[in-house]
Amino acid sequence: MGKKEDVAKHLPVSEATYYIMSMLVEPMHGYGVMQQVEEETDGAITIGPGTLYGAFSTLEKQGLIEMVRKEGRRKVYALTNQGEAVLRRQIERLQMMVRRGEQVLGRISDSARES
Amino acid sequence: MKDTKRVFRWFWAWNDEKQEAWLREMAREGWHLREPGAFGFYTFEQGAPRNVVYRLDFKTAGKDRAEYLQLFADAGWEHVGEAGGWQYFRTDAPEGAVPEIYTDKASKVHKYQRIFFFLVIFLPIFSVTLNNVGRGSSTAMKVISLFLGLLILLYAYAMVRIFLRILQLRR
Repeated sequence: MGKKEDVAKHLPVSEATYYIMSMLVEPMHGYGVMQQVEEETDGAITIGPGTLYGAFSTLEKQGLIEMVRKEGRRKVYALTNQGEAVLRRQIERLQMMVRRGEQVLGRISDSARES
Repeated sequence: MKDTKRVFRWFWAWNDEKQEAWLREMAREGWHLREPGAFGFYTFEQGAPRNVVYRLDFKTAGKDRAEYLQLFADAGWEHVGEAGGWQYFRTDAPEGAVPEIYTDKASKVHKYQRIFFFLVIFLPIFSVTLNNVGRGSSTAMKVISLFLGLLILLYAYAMVRIFLRILQLRR
C-alpha cells in the first residue's frame, strides 16, 4: 500500500480519471473502459479516445495503473496497489462531499418550508 | 477510378478547429479527404455528400502507434492520415450530437501543451544554426540567416498563439 503523502499528491483526480480508475479494479482495455463508463452513467459521461489515451499514459507514468497483458493491438490495464490506494482515498473524499451536500440540502428545504 | 483533386490551403497550428470545420464543409459538398499533405496540400476524393466530423490530434511518432490508432478505431474514428505530427480522424456525425476525441478541458489543454513543447524543442536548433550562419558575410549566408530569422520569429509567434489558446481553454 502506498504511503499517505504519495496518495495525497494525486488527489483530487478529475472526473474522467475517477471513472477510468474505478473501471480498472478489473483488468480492461481502453475501449472496454469507454463503453462501460458510458453504460454505467447512462450516457451522462462519455470519454473520447484522445482523453482516454492521455489518461492511460499519465496514470501509467504515475504508477497508478499497469499493463497486465496485450490482446492483439489492445493493451489491457489494471490498477496497481498504489492506484487502488488513491482510488480508495478519492472515494472517501467524495463520500465526505456527499454527506456535506445532504446536510445542506436538508437545511435548504427546511428554510423553504419555514418561509 | 474516383475523381480526385488537390487543394492548397494554409492553416496555422493554432487554427486546427478552423481546419476541422473546413474539412467538414468539403465533405458536405462531396469532397472527402484522402490524404492530408504537408505544407498545406490536401488530396480529396469525390463521393456522395456526407455529414461527418473531422478531428485533429497531435501525436508525433511513438512505438505505441498501433495501440493508439486501434483505440480511435474502436471508438468509431477512421484515421484518414497524418501530416507533420497531426493525426486526421473522421467519423459520421449523428443528429444533434458532435462526437469529440477530447471530452474534457484538461485533456484538450494537454494536446496544445504537446504542440507547444514540440515548438520549444525546435526553437534552439534554429537559433544555433542562425548564430553559426549569421557569422558569414556572403550574400547567400545573409539570405539564409534572414530566412532563419523570420522562421524563428514565426515560431515564437506560434508559441504565443498556442499559449494564449491554452489560457483561453483554462478560463
